[in-house]
Amino acid sequence: MKNALRELCHYIDVTIHVIKMAILTIIEYPSNIAGWLISNPLQFIMGFAIIKFVVEAFGEINGWDYGQLAFLYGISVISHALSMIFFVQGWFMGYYVMEGEFDRYLTRPLGVMYQFFFTNINIFGVTDLIPGILVFLYGCMKCRIPVTLLFVIQVIIMLTGATLIRGGIYILLGSTSFHTRSAVDFGQYTQEIMDKTTMYPISLYPESMQFILTWLIPIGWISYYPASAMLGIESGVSGGLIVSLITLGVGGIVMLIAGAYFTAGLRKYESAGN
Amino acid sequence: MKKYLYIIKIQIIKSMTYEFNVYGNIVMQTIIMITSAYFWKALYRQQTSVSGVDAQSMLTYVVMSCVLSVLLITNVERRIEISVEKGTVAADMMKPVNLFGVYFAEDIGGVLALIFQNLLPILLIGSLLIKVPVMADIRDLPLFLVSAAESMLINWLIAALFGMIAFTAVNIDALIQVKKHLIRLLSGSIIPLWFFPPSVSRVLSLLPFVYIYQLPLSIYIGKGSRAEHLMQMRLQLVHLVILSVIFFVMQRQVTRKVLVQGG
Repeated sequence: MKNALRELCHYIDVTIHVIKMAILTIIEYPSNIAGWLISNPLQFIMGFAIIKFVVEAFGEINGWDYGQLAFLYGISVISHALSMIFFVQGWFMGYYVMEGEFDRYLTRPLGVMYQFFFTNINIFGVTDLIPGILVFLYGCMKCRIPVTLLFVIQVIIMLTGATLIRGGIYILLGSTSFHTRSAVDFGQYTQEIMDKTTMYPISLYPESMQFILTWLIPIGWISYYPASAMLGIESGVSGGLIVSLITLGVGGIVMLIAGAYFTAGLRKYESAGN
Repeated sequence: MKKYLYIIKIQIIKSMTYEFNVYGNIVMQTIIMITSAYFWKALYRQQTSVSGVDAQSMLTYVVMSCVLSVLLITNVERRIEISVEKGTVAADMMKPVNLFGVYFAEDIGGVLALIFQNLLPILLIGSLLIKVPVMADIRDLPLFLVSAAESMLINWLIAALFGMIAFTAVNIDALIQVKKHLIRLLSGSIIPLWFFPPSVSRVLSLLPFVYIYQLPLSIYIGKGSRAEHLMQMRLQLVHLVILSVIFFVMQRQVTRKVLVQGG
């Protein structure tokens, strides 16, 4: 017990140092800071504007009005931002495998998965977070959601779960590199698919696809199910904390599977060789 | 010229090394294409025609947009960034070839390989699962081919110009993202600009991005008259010329700077 506690303290200590270092490294390239500050908010503001244009041209999207879509969009962007901060490395795992970068992690007395994701923490993800929060608050206002303590707890639990689901999926995709030994940059495609399935209600899509998005690749739990429960749309499930907790549970399961797959893949890892 | 053909050949061979990439990309693009198709199908459930475009044309638009996106993949910006960061650009410049000529040839080679690895499979899958993307008026084919070729050049020039920033800024990951989002959202690749409010789309048509996706695709689905198409193609050409001039001026600037650094 005492040992476990000491180890936990050690990990927390390392994490604090790592975050400090991450902040220092982002100052390395000033043009990069400017770039991220423009790029990420730009992307989401434009994306949000486009949803508005589409709603104006077509009326509602499958029964969701503009305010409700803003709510959904906000959840999607915030969880995207959080997953970018902690799990973006999953996108680039292929390069790490090809270049033998895991050697360094394997020689250190810390968990490999912990090191891989936390020593490369991506502070720039914050630039995604801000527009996300703004749009989310705008959506809350438009839908006249009373901000109560219960609501705040719901949102926090749900976002944790949503971030874990996204992170788990990135890790699963990235870990395929251990087996294929190739550096596929699925990042762009993953994001495009995630955008399409989390920023719009998945009830747009045919039953078969909804089934896949609910049970096989649980992307639906990132934003669609929690949002429709909180807004009371198409509610087959009751409100309260239940749906948020299910999201968290799904996130935990996805993460466990991803972790197991990562560990299994790491056993197959055999450096870059020379 | 022979040298560049050789580079193209090498690049094609390189592209064929990793089999998994090919399948992975096809699967991912298929998913994107199908979700887009259902997105439009759902939106058109209540209306038959919005802004003069019906659901069937929109499905053609989706399939062809995915096909075109394969041709518009560039690597020049990353290539410059990596070679500046690692310093290999100095060695590249000592070779008796034009630096940007090499990058262009590499991208051409990459695209040629992708035609077989990606474009044809996507076209086949799209035709089977969504809709055979038939051209609205086959007589517009020459116009479509010319405007698609010009859009490839415009796209490459924009990528190269963003890449050149790496010569001074070294790390341009973020700027590459800016470029990607600008093209993705303002070129009509996902949502055509005719769904935007008129004032917004008028401003956007002054930017070069519209001419990358939307113009060739509009010609393909027969949105607008031929006179309008010709008018827009003239604007496309103007953008191409402006970008080329900027490109050649900048090219001289950045290569001079590297020469100074090399001592």
